[in-house]
Amino acid sequence: MAETSRGIGGLAFDASKRARPPELNVLIALIAIVAAFELLGRLLIGDSFLFNTRDNVDGIFNQQRLEIIILQVSIVGIIAIGVTQVIISGGIDLSSGSVVGATAMISMSFAQVALVNGQPNPKGVFLEQGWVDLPVIVPVLVGLACGLVAGLINGALVAYTKIPPFIATLGMMVTARGVARWWSKGQPISFPTESFAAIGKGLMPVVIFVTLAVLFMVILRYTRYGKYCYAIGSNEQAARISGINVEHHKILVYSIAGVLAAVAALVLSSKNLTAQAGMGVMYELDAIAMAVIGGTSLSGGRGSIVGTMLGALIFGVIISGFTFLRIDAYYQEMIKGVIIVAAVVLDVYRQRVRSRG
Amino acid sequence: MRKLLLSAAVSALMTSAAMAENIGVSMALFDDNFLTVLRNGMVEYGKTLDGVNLQVEDAQNDVAKQLDQIKNFIASGVDAIIVNPVDTSATQAMSDAAAAAKVPLVYVNREPINVDTLPDNQAFVASNEQESGTLETQEVCRLFKEAGKTEAHVYVIMGELSNQAAVMRTKDIDDVIATPECSFIKIIDKQTSNWRRDEAQNLMTNWLSTGTKFDGVIANNDESAIGAIQAMKAAGIDMKSVVVGGVDATQDALAAMQAGDLDATVFQDAAGQGKGSVDAALKLAKGEAVDQKVYIPFQLVTPANIGDFLKKN
Repeated sequence: MAETSRGIGGLAFDASKRARPPELNVLIALIAIVAAFELLGRLLIGDSFLFNTRDNVDGIFNQQRLEIIILQVSIVGIIAIGVTQVIISGGIDLSSGSVVGATAMISMSFAQVALVNGQPNPKGVFLEQGWVDLPVIVPVLVGLACGLVAGLINGALVAYTKIPPFIATLGMMVTARGVARWWSKGQPISFPTESFAAIGKGLMPVVIFVTLAVLFMVILRYTRYGKYCYAIGSNEQAARISGINVEHHKILVYSIAGVLAAVAALVLSSKNLTAQAGMGVMYELDAIAMAVIGGTSLSGGRGSIVGTMLGALIFGVIISGFTFLRIDAYYQEMIKGVIIVAAVVLDVYRQRVRSRG
Repeated sequence: MRKLLLSAAVSALMTSAAMAENIGVSMALFDDNFLTVLRNGMVEYGKTLDGVNLQVEDAQNDVAKQLDQIKNFIASGVDAIIVNPVDTSATQAMSDAAAAAKVPLVYVNREPINVDTLPDNQAFVASNEQESGTLETQEVCRLFKEAGKTEAHVYVIMGELSNQAAVMRTKDIDDVIATPECSFIKIIDKQTSNWRRDEAQNLMTNWLSTGTKFDGVIANNDESAIGAIQAMKAAGIDMKSVVVGGVDATQDALAAMQAGDLDATVFQDAAGQGKGSVDAALKLAKGEAVDQKVYIPFQLVTPANIGDFLKKN
């Protein structure tokens, strides 16, 4: 029996090795980055990153900055919740960014107003059919259905054709982007109804992100669905022998990821009051990076939604921090790349240490 | 079998070539809003001309694919080629290939790197980016003066940093505020939004969180300007108190202008460029001389003349 405690990264139930959860490391990294910006801010431009230095507003903290740090990563964060589950169960989803694009285009077409400034909507897709000023539930259901279909196809391809998830979702990535472009022949779709615009207004993206994160945190930790994710990701064969219907579970995981990408699309297009064929480009990679930075292992079986949320916050802090320091845009991407690679190197290192026992 | 099909296709092309002017068009990218308007302008105009055939192909942002398309056009004996270059620094090979085959070539919308050394039967049709940012910034400057400001602080939102238009429009802004009439304008910070509304929205919110006082936002394109407007409105800023400028005159931007949020934008005549490129190609095909640089003017759009542009883009 000694064999079982070695070799595989996903031994989630060995309590002695969980003394210091990987999330703690991520939290420490987050605090270190915030502290670095606070220090640099005071040294370089004589302003505080975190705290309020203005006379005309109240409060100890710079509330506006705290809001934007999380607001700007909420939408990709919603995707990352789904992607985390896919990666934990041993897969990968490259299609989420394109699914966002396609879903945004299609659902926005059902969310348009008839009149803009008293003129017929210049971007009206279904103007002739009279499908304008529809209740908000229509575009929302249409959008969620788009995400579900994409996720079902992803899941079915992975589960039944046995092709690598990388390829299956790569196919969906290209196809869904094609759908996004074909839908309106590349034209942007704008001018949604007020009720649709309310979905992504103000801090709503944050509220939706945090609600979904808490929901899936509980689901992953306390339900059979969650346990199956970890079990399949750790050792698919063992999971199958234990009686888990691996195929059904995979389809479920990818479908959830697809629906979450659709939620992100609804929030994004509502927040921006427009849908464009190029929306969501690279979001899948940002989402994967958030999960990986948050300690989710690309080899499956390990990771958590808490970690992904912390990963998202690190992204947000970096974006805001660089704008705060007025540093050139070029450097942002370079640093982002370095952090992603560093996180994976750390992950690999951690796994090696563990497997050595 | 394949050979047979090929020769049939070739002979079909040759016979049609004998009857009409054939123009091969290689567009950098089909699914770009602006380039779509340009392409449609070209195709619509071609339909109004007797005996002119346009064969439009999509290079899908691939430099190598575009060069192959041009060589294919040459091989099938077109009378002229119109190219909307994927990469403006990769145009020398295209010019050489067309010149060697003595096929006239017209570049449209994006300025080729060899624009000053083009052979006689090649030309360039576009709008001069020097005008766009200049018209925009001058209008912003005028609005500040009208409001009686003696000092004005602005944020600048740039497009994709690797893009020539973004670089040029940003330089235009710097040039205008270097003139004595507009030197009262000071730039607080310049950042990129990659032309995108969502990124501009986040960027503006980040700027707002610094609490710095500002009087306006000058953006390289309308989408970025709209993103900034949305962020400012979300923060409860009165849009009458800030001046916002963009470029492109998109439908969304015009609606924002009608709502009183956007103060200035600049119309680039995409369809006009398409039409101009077809005209130049036809003239070159007939052996007539054309100007090697044909500029279709930019036009400033303000609430005063917005009516002229509502149906254009």
